[in-house]
Amino acid sequence: MSGPHDLGGAKDFPGPIDKSQHEVEDWERLTDAITTALDGKGIKTTDQHRRAVESLENYGELGYYERWAAATEKLLVEKGILTKEEIDERAAEIKREWGGE
Amino acid sequence: MSFADGESIRVRDLDKGGHVRAPRYVRGKRGEIVHLLGEFKNPEDLAYGEYERPTKPLYRVLFRQSDLWEDYEGNSDDTLVVDIYEHWLEGA
Repeated sequence: MSGPHDLGGAKDFPGPIDKSQHEVEDWERLTDAITTALDGKGIKTTDQHRRAVESLENYGELGYYERWAAATEKLLVEKGILTKEEIDERAAEIKREWGGE
Repeated sequence: MSFADGESIRVRDLDKGGHVRAPRYVRGKRGEIVHLLGEFKNPEDLAYGEYERPTKPLYRVLFRQSDLWEDYEGNSDDTLVVDIYEHWLEGA
């Protein structure tokens, strides 16, 4: 069984690559910074990060840094550093403070 | 088990899920050992936090593009080099 990352040679999937560019958004920089900092502190590794990204059930629906954020969440929960409830609660709190959609 | 430079090999089609490091388009294909790159920790272990597992030999392996792709239309001398860990290789 190959994961969604192992696409070399696959025909007709995932289809044309969207090569359009966009300005890097703040949350993307933050995601990069947090992930890199966790690696730097020895809390997780690049190999674990790749494995977590590849194992996301909704991999195909997520953008690059959305995958990074979801993988980091998954690893932090897996390692018992944060719970999903704590993360969801904090996200809701930030949304209340800063407004959301 | 170890392989010599120039030795003919086949990439094993291990039924291994999760984080694997031999791309599927080379599995089951014949190739040739270019040379040994060295011994490294196996990313397939590291991905699951298993840092103490032994290192594994990593080889540089040469494939003919026409062996990899059924309908390859390029030059018949075209080749591709892939770095592959020893547990994915068998003599051929």
